[in-house]
Amino acid sequence: MAAKVIQCGPYPECNMTLMLFSNVLNAAEVRKCVMGGEFEAALLKTSMILEPFQVIVAANRAIHLHRIKKMMTKNVHSEVLFSLSPSKNISDSFRKFGLADNETSMFVVIVNDTDGSTCQAVIDRVKGQLTDITDVGKYSDLPTIQKVYKISETELSVCSAVDAVVSRISSKDIVTV
Amino acid sequence: MELWKQGAEAKIHKTDFYGKPCIVKERFSKSYRHPILDKSLTAQRVKSEIRAMLRCRMSGILTPTVYFVNMDSSCIYMEEMLDSVTVRDYIQSVQSSKTAVEAIETLTPLANTIGHTLGIMHKQNIVHGDLTTSNMLLQGDPSNNRLCLIDFGLSFFENLSEDKGVDLYVLERALISTHPNTEKLFNVILEAYCKSNDTGSKDVIAKLEEVRMRGRKRTMVG
Ligand SMILES: Nc1ncnc2c1ncn2[C@@H]1O[C@H](COP(=O)(O)OP(=O)(O)OP(=O)(O)O)[C@@H](O)[C@H]1O
Ligand SMILES: [Mg+2]
Repeated sequence: MAAKVIQCGPYPECNMTLMLFSNVLNAAEVRKCVMGGEFEAALLKTSMILEPFQVIVAANRAIHLHRIKKMMTKNVHSEVLFSLSPSKNISDSFRKFGLADNETSMFVVIVNDTDGSTCQAVIDRVKGQLTDITDVGKYSDLPTIQKVYKISETELSVCSAVDAVVSRISSKDIVTV
Repeated sequence: MELWKQGAEAKIHKTDFYGKPCIVKERFSKSYRHPILDKSLTAQRVKSEIRAMLRCRMSGILTPTVYFVNMDSSCIYMEEMLDSVTVRDYIQSVQSSKTAVEAIETLTPLANTIGHTLGIMHKQNIVHGDLTTSNMLLQGDPSNNRLCLIDFGLSFFENLSEDKGVDLYVLERALISTHPNTEKLFNVILEAYCKSNDTGSKDVIAKLEEVRMRGRKRTMVG
């Protein structure tokens, strides 16, 4: 199992590295590494993710805002986390979508890890199993996701839950739901 | 990105967005407009389009999923509605392959769906602003009436019967001028509209009548 490196569509010179870890024993320690600046990455709560595409749309938005210098948060990794959230409140977004200390799975996004060194540093640090990113669906908490993104059954009669979530992420700065 | 269609206000490209078939709607600037006005008008259109697409879908109306918005280049990246035809093309193909009576009969369920959908939209105070048969798609087998609304650049959010009446009037003109002998279908649209926009339709229809009168007077004078 390996990390997945995806080229950024609108900015082909940029890329995102996505990783999913299961059976994680040291989430708190990994979080400290990011907060202490040992490596730069976005650590996401797996229960808030339906599919990797949801994260890709958020990371794509963050890379765009980074490139045009219109980010709301301090770096592109915190912007990935903020982009995932439908809320304009930064600390609320971090709380709802960021990895918590007691969790046993985590989704990691690294933007522009050109030489792969950050990815390696994360892998070395995490006590857990690198898992196929598409398995993230096993951890999703659909009722909470529906509540946080305010998705009604009426909406789900015309689109999938991922489509509903993705529409909100991409429209975040234009529409408040 | 491959240029697919070129309209009066926007270029439509086809591309792939992380593995999903994607349409990029790029609004370009109009050289006859003042540059600053042009920029703010274009931004306004993009925002209106995004807002209405999301609001419609939240009320159970099918619209393309938005993947990415680039306000700097006025581009909306959205889901390509696969296996779809415009209502315009569908009506034309039905009319050209059937007798007039058969065509109306075949198209009546579609007219019902259109009226029902617009009723829901107006009930949510979403005014489309450019209701034509090219701005409606049918996905899959057209007889399933899976109607998708698009092209919301001129839309706005307003609870005025007048605006809603004009919205319907625009559709009536577009329908009848693009597709001959569709007056009956428009009546079916109105009937279904009144059922789904249950509380507001009476005033809207009254406004529609008013706008029709004004339209006629204008043509008589001109
Ligand atoms: N998401 C989509 N999926 C499939 N086809 C689409 C989609 N969006 C647009 N189209 C096609 O492109 C055409 C033009 O799109 P749209 O109406 O949004 O732009 P426009 O600039 O208003 O064009 P026009 O001036 O022709 O109305 C539509 O009539 C439809 O055939
Ligand atoms: Mg159009």
